[in-house]
Amino acid sequence: MLETIEQTKSGYRYVAALREQFGRAVQDESWQAPDQVTLTVDLNTLPAIVSWLYYQQGGWLAVVAANDERPLNGNFALYYVLSVEGNGSEPAQNSDKCYMVVRGLVPPYQPEFPAVTPHVPAAVWYEREVRDMFGLQPVGIQDERRLVLPDDWPEDLYPLRKDTMDYRLRPEPTTENETYEFLDIGDEELVQIPLGPLHITSDEPGHFRLFVDGEHIVDADYRLFYVHRGMEKLAETRMNYDQVPFLADRICGICGYAHNVAYANSIERALDITIPERAHYIRTILLEVERLHSHLLNLGLACHFVGFDTGFMQLFRVREKAMQMAEVLTGTRKTYGMNLIGGVRRDILKDQRVQTLKWIAELRQEVTSLVSILLETPYIVQRTQNVGRLEPQVARDYSPVGPTLRGSGFDRDIRVIHPYSAYDRVPWTTSYKDGCDVLARTLVRAEEFFTSLSLVETCLETMPEGPILVEDFQYKPYRFALGYVEAPRGEDIHWSMLGDNQKLYRWRCRASSYNNWPPLRYMLRNNTISDAPLIVASIDPCYSCTERVTVVDVRKKKAQIIPYKEMERYCRERKDSPLKT
Amino acid sequence: MVLKLVQELFKVGQATVPYPFQPVELAPGFRGKPEYNPEQCIACAACTIACPPNALSMETDLETGRRIWSIYYGQCIFCARCEEVCPTGAIKLGSDFELASFTREDLTVRAEFELAACSLCGVYFASAKQLNHVLALLDQAGLPPAEAADRRALLTACPECRRKIDLPRVKPLAQEAFNDRLQH
Repeated sequence: MLETIEQTKSGYRYVAALREQFGRAVQDESWQAPDQVTLTVDLNTLPAIVSWLYYQQGGWLAVVAANDERPLNGNFALYYVLSVEGNGSEPAQNSDKCYMVVRGLVPPYQPEFPAVTPHVPAAVWYEREVRDMFGLQPVGIQDERRLVLPDDWPEDLYPLRKDTMDYRLRPEPTTENETYEFLDIGDEELVQIPLGPLHITSDEPGHFRLFVDGEHIVDADYRLFYVHRGMEKLAETRMNYDQVPFLADRICGICGYAHNVAYANSIERALDITIPERAHYIRTILLEVERLHSHLLNLGLACHFVGFDTGFMQLFRVREKAMQMAEVLTGTRKTYGMNLIGGVRRDILKDQRVQTLKWIAELRQEVTSLVSILLETPYIVQRTQNVGRLEPQVARDYSPVGPTLRGSGFDRDIRVIHPYSAYDRVPWTTSYKDGCDVLARTLVRAEEFFTSLSLVETCLETMPEGPILVEDFQYKPYRFALGYVEAPRGEDIHWSMLGDNQKLYRWRCRASSYNNWPPLRYMLRNNTISDAPLIVASIDPCYSCTERVTVVDVRKKKAQIIPYKEMERYCRERKDSPLKT
Repeated sequence: MVLKLVQELFKVGQATVPYPFQPVELAPGFRGKPEYNPEQCIACAACTIACPPNALSMETDLETGRRIWSIYYGQCIFCARCEEVCPTGAIKLGSDFELASFTREDLTVRAEFELAACSLCGVYFASAKQLNHVLALLDQAGLPPAEAADRRALLTACPECRRKIDLPRVKPLAQEAFNDRLQH
């Protein structure tokens, strides 16, 4: 009997196969949902298991969460979350896809663990972050540099350990100077171009270093996290679990609602809350409204960076309709503050529905004509085709998400693979392209824009009546689960564990751009400097922009700093290279 | 292509509005500045507990028997949780969003409330308006006079004295439960 129940769970096949392969290493198995399982495994076998799931069973690395569980069981815990989607040997069905969480315990007297990165490159940022935040040493990882913590942060202060510090504490800086070492790629012939600390397209901080031979980019290195806001610590210490949705909103200025839904889903799953049908539909509508304005923003920026400012202005003009749609539906131009654990706070009434449907029809017509004008503009295609290629193999190794991945020929959309809200209740299709370049990523966004329009329409027309919020549930200590949402730029993943005090014990929120940054290096290679801002913009990164660029000429052995305005001008005009002065 | 674009541009005409010289049109249900009505407020603190960014706060001074409620609009995220949890409708979101100011003080609203003293020991323990609100509800509940008087005595006492009143009544019950347990 037990076995038949087990078999109804979608990840059962993989768990059985994994037990067969690594039987002795599996110490514990617990299910958070029919398609979500956490396996505690022997720490030394963990890299082998993760890499087996990743490459043999069609796994994608969703997130890695570390957790200080010393107060609970005496150890630190590492959770490697993989979306396992089948290796193609059997016909892949949705019922066969699941989230598998591989958990390893790290004893406090020996704070180190065998790194997964040498086997699965996608883990590199996660493991560097675990080292910064928890002081657990990934053994076998080559990159010894800090990822998240600033240069002047004390050596032995690990912010996310439970016994480390109060969230209000700002430790004294330990150094006056920047000590971060950018990669030394060994070739003294190359010039280095520092680009940053603010990004060119999105006016957010990040420091790039381009290694160039003349105008040609040989390699790139970059450093981010200049604006780490300590949100996870804040949520764990100061906020109640039902206040965190309002903080999750503020993770991102664009996909805030996606984070909000992902967080709410994780808690609802952990507490076994079934939310009303109508709430599912309202969440879907708002998520798609968010995608509308995000995709228009990115299409507009793409125009701007190839010097087609009229297109930029026009796309931003029509984008205003999407913003007003948000205002009518939620009361703010950003879809903020709409969720509570258990549903949504505001219903969609007839007036709002009628108005939204009217705008949808107008948007469809206007954007259709703008996109056709855009694609008929010869230099748009010239500037974007075969630029910033993300090869499928690199994509496979680094688990990028969203349009960045779908532009490289992978038809992978969380809305279909792990349906949430109302995505499995209404008909729609995904978009993907094989071009692997900036053009392909832009086209995926353009297509998805129209899909979103239809999705909002269908949901508005077919949403069931009924309540929108349930409140009769109970807070249960130490439950944990995953929440996931396909935000405009890719999946946002939240792993939340409740505490015993109406708060969260641990909240790991991973924004989509986090997975898209590491492969960017490969996209920048073999392009010219004037394309760099365009390539960075094509992943539509979310960080808080690059004010200037340092270019290092490897042959002349000199570094020079180029102001942001100049770099942007060069990207747009492609005349009078700033390097020639 | 250029022709198509130019046609499009002429068709659209001017897309911007001359704000701030002309007010912007806001959607009905727009969430702006929370408007506070101290007359309605009973200083129960429900909003200060719900407020995610701590824009609402309350300070209680047990020496002087005063409680100060305050909102700092600089921290407000216009989520309307306060409106949602307020039992008396004392705080409601308006549509004002132009809050820029040169001083912090302009963004703060305060209200002062008196505390009620315990009917037995005289220690301040709850907002007087909240206590009166609860007592008024009690009157409306239509309980038998003896029970109503009993409840009233409990409600007007501070938590400490309430425990002392309750203890002799709870004791036999507790004893009974204990005996029950021994038998089973």
